[in-house]
Amino acid sequence: MNPKSKNILLGLLIAGLLVAVVVGVYTYAGQRAFISTLFSGLTLGSLFFMVAAGLTLIFGLMDVLNFAHGSMFMLGAYIGWQFYTNPTFIFGMAPFLLAFGAGVMLTPIIKPYLIAWKVSEKMQKALPKIAYVLALLALVFAFVGFDILSVADTAMVAATTTTIGNPLAEISAQEPLSSYWLRPLLMFVAGLLIAVASSRPGDKTQFAPRETIGKKLLMPAALLVLTVLSTLVRESASEALLLMNGNLRFVLSILLAVAFGFVFGAVIEITLIRPLYVRPTFILLMTLGLSYVIRELVQYLWDPLTYQMSRPPLFAQPGKATSIAEWLQKGSATIDIYGATVPTYRLFIIALGIVMFVVVLFVMTRTRLGMTIRAGVQDPQMVEAMGINVKAVFTLVFAMGVALAALGGIGAAPFLPVQPLMGDTYQTQGLITVVIGGMGSYVGAFVGAMILGMARAFGDYFALKLSLSPAIAEASTVIIMVIVLLTKPQGLFGKKE
Amino acid sequence: MSAQIPANDLLVVDRIETFIGQFHILENVSVRVPKGSITVLLGRNGAGKTTTLKSIIGLTPPREGKITFDGLEIQGKQAFNIANLGMGYVPENRAIFRALSVLENLKLAERKKGDFERKSDFIFELFPDLKRLYKLPGNHLSGGQQQMLAVARALVPDNKLLLIDEPSEGLAPILIQQMMEAIRQLSQTTTILLVEQNFIMASQLAERYTIIDDGKSVQEGLMEDLVEDTDLIHHYLGASIKTRKELEMEHESEK
Repeated sequence: MNPKSKNILLGLLIAGLLVAVVVGVYTYAGQRAFISTLFSGLTLGSLFFMVAAGLTLIFGLMDVLNFAHGSMFMLGAYIGWQFYTNPTFIFGMAPFLLAFGAGVMLTPIIKPYLIAWKVSEKMQKALPKIAYVLALLALVFAFVGFDILSVADTAMVAATTTTIGNPLAEISAQEPLSSYWLRPLLMFVAGLLIAVASSRPGDKTQFAPRETIGKKLLMPAALLVLTVLSTLVRESASEALLLMNGNLRFVLSILLAVAFGFVFGAVIEITLIRPLYVRPTFILLMTLGLSYVIRELVQYLWDPLTYQMSRPPLFAQPGKATSIAEWLQKGSATIDIYGATVPTYRLFIIALGIVMFVVVLFVMTRTRLGMTIRAGVQDPQMVEAMGINVKAVFTLVFAMGVALAALGGIGAAPFLPVQPLMGDTYQTQGLITVVIGGMGSYVGAFVGAMILGMARAFGDYFALKLSLSPAIAEASTVIIMVIVLLTKPQGLFGKKE
Repeated sequence: MSAQIPANDLLVVDRIETFIGQFHILENVSVRVPKGSITVLLGRNGAGKTTTLKSIIGLTPPREGKITFDGLEIQGKQAFNIANLGMGYVPENRAIFRALSVLENLKLAERKKGDFERKSDFIFELFPDLKRLYKLPGNHLSGGQQQMLAVARALVPDNKLLLIDEPSEGLAPILIQQMMEAIRQLSQTTTILLVEQNFIMASQLAERYTIIDDGKSVQEGLMEDLVEDTDLIHHYLGASIKTRKELEMEHESEK
């Protein structure tokens, strides 16, 4: 039998088996239970996908298995939750980060001049070190006397006390502007010093074109303007935001979490991963260590507690809607779908997962960036020899992957308890998803995530119904992975090497 | 006649040394490529010809020595910066992007938007096969077509210099003819540095040669002088290589 007809036969067999299973479960469970389990499966699948998508993108291009992905998922949830519940912390910290970013972003502008600078060899080695030490000092002094914990606590307090009454009551008074503005200034100086150090003054082996400076000035200038603005409005903005429509605030939280994930990912790639590309094992250990650092940092800022983010108004009113139109109008918490009661927020998570899949698929197949990524998966050296800055593409892809994880985190925050370990289960399932779908395959990650979501949901259903141990549902995903690996070691959509 | 004015050299590789890991691959290689010429790197397998090309484009940056391209020192710069100065690279073994279609392979090579639209007629005239196959993914192409695509890719942007590594490797004789014709046409607008094992092809195409032996450049000069120098050829390139003169003599005696 030739391989083509063998494949068709195998496909028919699997499709037949699938239909039989679906029909069997449907008749056994009844319509209502089947549909509600189906939707929880889709929800879980969507969440798994949000983690797996970034993992598989990063692994496919860079061969980096990011063990901090779950922590970045968690971080996205915290940032989004913090912003949604009480943005004082975010607005209090924004001037610090923006000013620092503006300083660092000046690197490409000052670099050509610093390189051309005549510096003795001794000074060439000493100057960056001196600059780094000064930058560290500036960083420390920027934070001296700034009570970061009490600012972080604002959302914690808001979440644990009654927020329904008056959200403004939870805003704590902050330092007056007259003494505060020095902090962003010091942060800017710190950033600038790091820019000086990293451009290695006097080292003429580097290459830095001068002609495009005008364009490069745009970003730091924008950041500086934002710094000044955010310094001025840091208190009034919190109030204005809390009085804003909850749905809109939720959308803003999502955007913020995604932007944060993107910048955070870019910073991690440039500072921690890039120096280690020659030692892949070290990257693995580094990301593992990073996940602990992130977790400890979060526990330090927000205490090792569990928070429940309240759902945005669109998903919060008690009562069951009978149609989508009624839900959108009333903002009901649940909706009736063919007799089954499905929480409306689940529909949102499913939709978010699908939108993310389609958008990233579009980017991968239809844009130049996607082309570059697919080419880079095979041969990054050749892509570089064609005149494309592969390092920058690596940074971009890592940043995108982390942004996707953060998006998953904020998407899941109103649905899952927000706590420091919330990403761990999803990271494990995300890794299994990536293995099932085929390492580096994006479509595979989606299919794998849906398979796993279904397995978990129906596993839980049967475990409850037949009074089996709930561990069965958890084990089911690993069993599926074993079966896939035994029959198709490269994964469902993986390419044979 | 071989006294060249240095200002006329588009590329000057001056005593470079390249390491790959701990291995000292290039010990002392100097190559000059005059503007508008085809220069060929000759040498046995493993002599360091491919590494020389990779050192020039910056994929294996040299540790010592100087490379001047179009009046600019480029050693130590990143490969994408060097490429953007106007250097195209066609690697050996047809390293096209197999997951991308023919069209995508060509599009990706654009350095400015619209490069491909501007050059497509010229490219498809040189390689008519590619026009027919432009929607196919790279891994569906035959070896010859992949090689054509690899060369075509380097033609999309405006390059001052093309580095072409073994364009005839594993091609059927008829395709070798087509490839030679294409390279000859290219050389009218672009300077070319070629690595070629097929001595007949090399001697017909190139005006200048540099012989690399065991990581060192040992001899350079005009091709028309080399084809006469049977001893030199046999010493550095192996006894199995026959010059045109020897082939002609064999041909005569068979008659």
